[in-house]
Amino acid sequence: MAERFAIVDAPIDPGSLLAAVADPAAGASVLFLGTTRNENAGRRVTRLEYEAFADMAVREMRQLARQARRRWPLRRVAIVHRIGLVPVGEASVGIAVSAGHRAEAFEACHWLIDRLKEIVPIWKKEHYRGGTVWIGSQQGSPEGNAVVARRRGAARSR
Amino acid sequence: MRVRLRFFASLRERLGPGEERAVRTGTTAGALWEALVRAQPAIAAVRVRIAVNERYVEPGHELADGDEVAFFPPVSGG
Repeated sequence: MAERFAIVDAPIDPGSLLAAVADPAAGASVLFLGTTRNENAGRRVTRLEYEAFADMAVREMRQLARQARRRWPLRRVAIVHRIGLVPVGEASVGIAVSAGHRAEAFEACHWLIDRLKEIVPIWKKEHYRGGTVWIGSQQGSPEGNAVVARRRGAARSR
Repeated sequence: MRVRLRFFASLRERLGPGEERAVRTGTTAGALWEALVRAQPAIAAVRVRIAVNERYVEPGHELADGDEVAFFPPVSGG
């Protein structure tokens, strides 16, 4: 992966993410992959569809990496998010962090994925058996699922 | 002055990808959103976030000529 921070429309290669954070001073590399799960809130998920405000998303990823470096003594950070359709089992997001020791690498990676989900301008539309739904950051609240559109005749009680 | 509006995700599906719009000098990002809601009451429930020139702003942020104003529903990456 040429870019350490990128929005991509092809499958994420974990090996190149780890290669991007390789560093002789690192004693630990932590890799997080977020993958499409086959169910959500009782719905049978068939795939997820992601949309990004790509330039701003990359800018926010770089900003998160800078903030992480201020909190932990890290070596390198790489963040990649996929857009478009992501089938069940495939990765939509990958975050790799290297550091001198494992504790800070684990903590920073966990913090980065939490913050990414809160502020990076990326959206997922869930395709499930019977329809689609845009997922909001605060699930369970009325507008969390901002727009629910079921295919005509396919609505089923949940 | 003129600004460029951009919409994403559920807002894009309702309003289209975006448009150019003439606004009065001194218009704030929040006032622009309120004008959009008046024209399209269905979007009133969206907890919108606004970015100007790719940076998040508060509703009171005053717009400048040529700004790109992006309206987001709650983000859900990951």
